[in-house]
Amino acid sequence: MENLEALLHGFAIAASFYHIALMLVGVLLGILVGVLPGLGAPNGVSLLLPLTFGMQPVSAIILLSSMYWGALFGGSVTSILFNIPGEPSSVATTFDGYPMARDGRPTTALATAFGSAAFGALVGVVLITLLASWVAKVALAFGPPEYFAVYFLAFASFVGMGGSPAIKTVVSLAIGFAIAAIGIDTVSGSVRLTMGIDELVKGVSFVVAVMGLFGIGELMIAVEDELHVKAISSKVQWGEVLRTILHLPRHGWALVRSAAIGCWMGITPGGPTAASFMSYGIAKRFSARGRYFGSGEPEGIIAPETADHAAGTSALLPMLSLGIPGSATAAVMMGGLMIWGLNPGPMLFIEQKEFVWGLIASMYLGNIVAVVLVLLTVPMFAALMRVPFFIIAPMILIVCVVGAYSVSNSYLDVVLMMGFGVLGYLFKKLNYPLAPLVLAIVIGDKAEDAFRQAMLMSQGSLGIFFSNTLVATLVIAAIVLLLLPLALGLIGVHRRLAPIDE
Amino acid sequence: MISRRAFEAATATLTGAFGAAVAISSLSNGIGWSSAGVDAGTFPFITGLIILCGSVCNLLRGVLAEHERMLDWSKLKRLGALFIPAAIYVGAIPLAGMYVASAGYVFGTFAVQSRVSLARSLLAGAITAAALYLVFERMFEVSLPRGLLGEAAGF
Repeated sequence: MENLEALLHGFAIAASFYHIALMLVGVLLGILVGVLPGLGAPNGVSLLLPLTFGMQPVSAIILLSSMYWGALFGGSVTSILFNIPGEPSSVATTFDGYPMARDGRPTTALATAFGSAAFGALVGVVLITLLASWVAKVALAFGPPEYFAVYFLAFASFVGMGGSPAIKTVVSLAIGFAIAAIGIDTVSGSVRLTMGIDELVKGVSFVVAVMGLFGIGELMIAVEDELHVKAISSKVQWGEVLRTILHLPRHGWALVRSAAIGCWMGITPGGPTAASFMSYGIAKRFSARGRYFGSGEPEGIIAPETADHAAGTSALLPMLSLGIPGSATAAVMMGGLMIWGLNPGPMLFIEQKEFVWGLIASMYLGNIVAVVLVLLTVPMFAALMRVPFFIIAPMILIVCVVGAYSVSNSYLDVVLMMGFGVLGYLFKKLNYPLAPLVLAIVIGDKAEDAFRQAMLMSQGSLGIFFSNTLVATLVIAAIVLLLLPLALGLIGVHRRLAPIDE
Repeated sequence: MISRRAFEAATATLTGAFGAAVAISSLSNGIGWSSAGVDAGTFPFITGLIILCGSVCNLLRGVLAEHERMLDWSKLKRLGALFIPAAIYVGAIPLAGMYVASAGYVFGTFAVQSRVSLARSLLAGAITAAALYLVFERMFEVSLPRGLLGEAAGF
């Protein structure tokens, strides 16, 4: 296959000492950035961008993408150890990762997460290798109606398959949408929902919301009970790491399914965050131990981690081939590409073969480097868990406060974050699901834009959502899921599933 | 002692008020169809209505819920012990700046709440400020607010 030949050539480019050194630096910086809430992969990548102007485009993109992998992994570390998602895509990892760590198995949780992540990333990269050449054709079939249908399906799956009461889920979703709408409307340019506070014109950042809901909110829940962070054995037992990794294939079905979901969401592009949530929701529904999700189930970690890394890697495909970034970081990278004089799009594969395949080859290597590095630094993080709560709590609070401020140098964000903290506390106590809220904040805007563009295309007719097989299938599936709780309630089936994010 | 009913009612009222505010605010952006397509206010308006209706449902359900004790006095105290210093810390930032406020917060919680010795608490506060400075100001070039006091002192 000509692709394989190109890939091998790409390896020759990627595997130079210089590039491997770049990978190491990039991954380390990425892990640091991923671990610190408020400094996300987009920040890190943006900060590195000026440094790359003097480099060859291949080297530059290798550095940036290594940082991306590092950040993805780093975000999972704090999700598991502190229940603070360092990255939007690691929010879903907190659902089962944190309980597992809290129960005294942080090494298992981390090893499970990294193993699944590596698998997901690998599948994503292999997919890109195989599909790189003809992906443009498929993605061109996706117009605004199809995008909206995919988002609609993701939301509907929460209502239909989440364990929380349907009305609370809907309220949570709707609140997320409303928050996403605050600020400037991308389609019309008008300002919405600022309610007289000028500073809100920039909108409410997802990072601020997440830090409040999960960081502060969880802190408030934790402090209620006298029993805080349990004393956890400090050493990373390498035997445990190996054992966990070797046991991963037991969950083969979950791994493959999650990777598939991730790749789909990465390409189409729903993004790594949406992928992780969707994968978690589906895994909870179909896993043998779905009932126990939320209390430290391995598959509860495998599902989101595999999906989000698969999506993160495969999100680069539409970015490279169509100029549609599947995530914020991909967007920054795309900006970099254009500054270096490269134009993302189908022509890139023809005119800049070396660059594209050098990048793809580096994705294999970069992920290996990232996994090794992150495993090596795990003891550092696991040891952190032994620190007593009265030190950890203020530390977490300060990191959240400073992180919230640093998003856009705004004190208002800090206050908002505290408000989100209270909201997170209330919601958690009352079984309102937080996951749909977060998802709606992230992609609410995109979903709404897709809907409005679709309406523009159809001049106001909703029929456009049934105009071809693809979009009709998606929409009908979503409607079925939405009505599922109602139907089940009427039939009298009592659902006793644990809530999706506890 | 706060019951589940009170919690549910309070939360539902909060969300309902938010929903109403969203719906009303979006009216000024216009709802319906215009030459540019769907008007900017339509989605938020519908969203606001959904929140409002959902909240009313939750309120009714919450009020009819079982009387269950959710929060007792000792829990409330612990919660306050976390939240009140945090609120003071956040409130102090515009005045004292992030470095001083963070140092003060750490010092306060250590010395007053956890009965750590004064010397150690001061040290902890100093380390906090230094660490913040190094990581954010130097490494990532994110400038943290100095506060009114800081600016007056020319920092």
